[in-house]
Amino acid sequence: MPRTVYRRPGERVFCFLLVVFSVYLFWQAYGISGFSELSSPGAFPLATSATMLLAACVVFVNTLKLPEAEGVRFFYHCFPPIVGIVMALILIFAIMLESLGFILSSFFFLFVGIQFLYQKSVLTTLSITVLSLVVVYIIFRLVFQVVLPEGIVPEREILAAIEQFWRG
Amino acid sequence: MKKRFLTTVAGIALMSGAAFADYPTKDIQGIIQWGAGGSTDTVMRSISPHVEEELGSDIILTNKTGGVGAIALKYVNAKKADGYTLLMGAENPQMYKVLGLSDTDYNDMVAINILARGTPIFVAQKDAPYNNMQELIDYAKANPGKVKFGSTGKGGLTSIVMAMLESQVDLDYTSIPYNGDGPALTALQGGAIDVMPSVLGATVEHLKAGRMKALGVVDVEKSKLLPGVAPITDTLPGMKSYLPWGPFFGVFVKKGTPEEAVEKLQAAFHKAAFSPDFIDLMEKRGFTILNVSGEEADMFLSGYRSTSSWLVHEAGFSKRSPEEFNIPKP
Amino acid sequence: MDAFSYFAISWLSPELLGLTALGTFLGIYVGAIPGLSVTMAVSILISFTFSWDVNYALCLMVGVFMGGVYGGSRTAILLNIPGAPSAIATALDGYPLAKKGLAGEAIGLSTIMSVVGGFVGIFVLSIAAPSISEFALTFQPRDYMMLGVLGIMLVGSLSGGSLAKGIFAGAFGLLIGTVGLDPMTAEERFTFGIVELWDGINPVAVMIGLFGISEALHQLHHMNKAVVKQKITRIIPKWMDVKKYLPLSLQSSFIGVIVGALPGTGGDIAALMAYDHAKRITKKPEVEFGKGAKEGLIAPEAANNAAVGGAYIPMLTLGIPGDAVTAVFIGALFIHGLNPGPLLMVEQPHMFWFTVGNLTLANIFVLIFGLTGIKLFSKIVECPKGILIPLIFLLSVVGAYAINNSVIDIWWMLAFGVFGYFMRQYGFPVGPVILGVILSSLTDENWRRAILSERGSLVDLFSNLLTSPLSVVLLFTIIFILFSQSPIWTRWIKPKLLRSKAN
Repeated sequence: MPRTVYRRPGERVFCFLLVVFSVYLFWQAYGISGFSELSSPGAFPLATSATMLLAACVVFVNTLKLPEAEGVRFFYHCFPPIVGIVMALILIFAIMLESLGFILSSFFFLFVGIQFLYQKSVLTTLSITVLSLVVVYIIFRLVFQVVLPEGIVPEREILAAIEQFWRG
Repeated sequence: MKKRFLTTVAGIALMSGAAFADYPTKDIQGIIQWGAGGSTDTVMRSISPHVEEELGSDIILTNKTGGVGAIALKYVNAKKADGYTLLMGAENPQMYKVLGLSDTDYNDMVAINILARGTPIFVAQKDAPYNNMQELIDYAKANPGKVKFGSTGKGGLTSIVMAMLESQVDLDYTSIPYNGDGPALTALQGGAIDVMPSVLGATVEHLKAGRMKALGVVDVEKSKLLPGVAPITDTLPGMKSYLPWGPFFGVFVKKGTPEEAVEKLQAAFHKAAFSPDFIDLMEKRGFTILNVSGEEADMFLSGYRSTSSWLVHEAGFSKRSPEEFNIPKP
Repeated sequence: MDAFSYFAISWLSPELLGLTALGTFLGIYVGAIPGLSVTMAVSILISFTFSWDVNYALCLMVGVFMGGVYGGSRTAILLNIPGAPSAIATALDGYPLAKKGLAGEAIGLSTIMSVVGGFVGIFVLSIAAPSISEFALTFQPRDYMMLGVLGIMLVGSLSGGSLAKGIFAGAFGLLIGTVGLDPMTAEERFTFGIVELWDGINPVAVMIGLFGISEALHQLHHMNKAVVKQKITRIIPKWMDVKKYLPLSLQSSFIGVIVGALPGTGGDIAALMAYDHAKRITKKPEVEFGKGAKEGLIAPEAANNAAVGGAYIPMLTLGIPGDAVTAVFIGALFIHGLNPGPLLMVEQPHMFWFTVGNLTLANIFVLIFGLTGIKLFSKIVECPKGILIPLIFLLSVVGAYAINNSVIDIWWMLAFGVFGYFMRQYGFPVGPVILGVILSSLTDENWRRAILSERGSLVDLFSNLLTSPLSVVLLFTIIFILFSQSPIWTRWIKPKLLRSKAN
């Protein structure tokens, strides 16, 4: 974790956003039951959001006092493109998970992800992808019976058919 | 080998079509409304192996909690109506409409089986200065605000039983809410609360060991498990109009599920509920086996919904009136 | 004599012995994979072992329990993803050790100390179960509330550099914990009318996001840097080390047993409290806490395994579950026709010593399986980042989904992953957030119960608080810690005291 002696680019904005966020939560907490009894459902959220707001303000003021770090750029040191690309990739994966189903969406995610980050031949990537998928599928779906989103693949039919096939 | 493979592939293609005559052709998913270790979970996990035997197919049990069970209900109703997704739940959905939690309840689904019903019971700390319902009422009246009743939140069993009680007598008490009756009964033994309406099954072992005492069974007759405890109607005959009433466990499928699948499931659950170890388990836990489906189940569900919805509405903590949903007055 | 023969049941039968071993082995993996919980595994085993004899079923399940609690430390040390909430504290110092190439040593040490903790838990269970369970019952809502406050004060030791940032993170965590339908009044809190939010935000999703995802995203900065080569020469820790840390692990174990035995708290809180304890009593750590201090690894590991024995205390004596897993065990006993309750020890006298014997056996298997295969595990860290990082993401997504079979948990995990990434960038500690999530409902609910019991009167609350010995002890502990950590004490009073002593 980078220790802040200098103010990193974006830090001011981040801390300011936290202040805004805390104000919003405080307002939401107030909406639960207002300043009524100590035992009301809103009492605890109100206390915690007030603490958040106070702490966020202190942090923000402290940040303003810090000298700016030199030679540190936001899009290079704090949020390099690679992080953004991978975040987008996971986002697409999560969106496709339910409609495409676990098997297809994670296949694409792993394949693209490993190809992008590991940068070896397509065949290597493909075999790593398939191998890891098989292991994950066996552990979660078959051993621990977590029914992963099936999407467009008729998984249960295939499993039943395979069982039939073995039984002959 | 090749030929068999081809028939297998053909089989998959066919199965996606509507060949319900040989239902079930694949695993069935059972969605349990409550978490692992709860009473709904225990009941469903103990009957499922018997049903699997009857159907010749696996039932994959999945706990899907949240929203007082509404999330599981929503999930099952979002799936295809093909009989491969079962909802395994407790009584809660019958209150969803008046509590404003959902516009769907069990009456909008097909009941496969209502397995069993629990009996509510009033229990108290073992050294409390009252031994039955009458003494409790007298004590609470003499000491307004002093008796601490455990509760499990609005719409929960305790709130409905308390609404029944308060429709008969005026009581001034302090209500301390807990997250389920397990923690509340623990608090009762530690002295944090004095009295608690709970279910027989959850209390019977503690009662036998003398760690708490029973004040009255919320039913019209005595329970076989506790022959020494009087039914509440002895003290408050007016309660008869609500009773017998109690939480229940049932298995449901989405409306529109093919007839063949529903019938096969009903037959399988009906037979499974007769297996001796299931009966034994239910009796020991103080549940009354119902094992009903079809019209009988629908009548039970409607009756439960009418009683509870109107009680809650009249006690003043419903979000919407039962009239909006054409729920008849009991 | 009877006790001994019951104790030995699972030791003497080869089948039972084998099942315990199998269970422990499986448990370690269940525990290590985030999203797969011991609770879940044990309930699947209920269906799986339905037609078995009860002893066979129990051996398998006890093994999974014991192995699972230990297994959580694996991924915490290797990948900074705690396998379960009880391994959160383990990640704080375990992962820095792995980054230094000491993963093997860290796993070895955590194994030994887990086993020590496990034995302490079992020992206390076997000699003092009835009196401890009676003691646990005397905890009133106000006492639970104070335990919560005591826990929240750990923010101080988890904050690292900036206390204000730590307090922000802790308060944010507490707030996340309140999301959903209020369990006491069914009032909606921060739900924005979304049904999926009624059950709140799952702590495991928050945990995987803040620890796993944000760390993996952070790792992307250093794609070109070579992976740290792991030194795997030393796996079994030096006897000197074990001896040196034994007092700490024993103290942590006692914290673990008691917190585990309380029906409202479990191994996660125990581990965090032990971590804090370690930080407070270690005057001069060789390495700073949070940067790979061995004390910070030992304390939570000893405590969470000791909590297993603790959780069994109220379950076996009173039929009250000590945590989520023992609740499932109670269900299992019912299904197998036993009546878990206060009469269990009378009606089924073999049950108690059989369980004690079986737990002991499982603990020995933890030692065996824990110390073998470390070399292979350490290799995970050496796996090229280009492969490891996508796999961590996949595993996190599947793990988040597995918590409650719902996609919404994946969204939360990702949201907290991204938020956690920026928190790290700007020097905010993520530990306090998850601490807050864990302690939120404990503190909130019991605070309100306490005040409701006194019909809203603060005066009555305090007068009752000062007349109960237990409450007084807890209150003074809080005050003591508050003052001994605050700047007023460390800057002004302590130096003066020391000076007056010197004079």
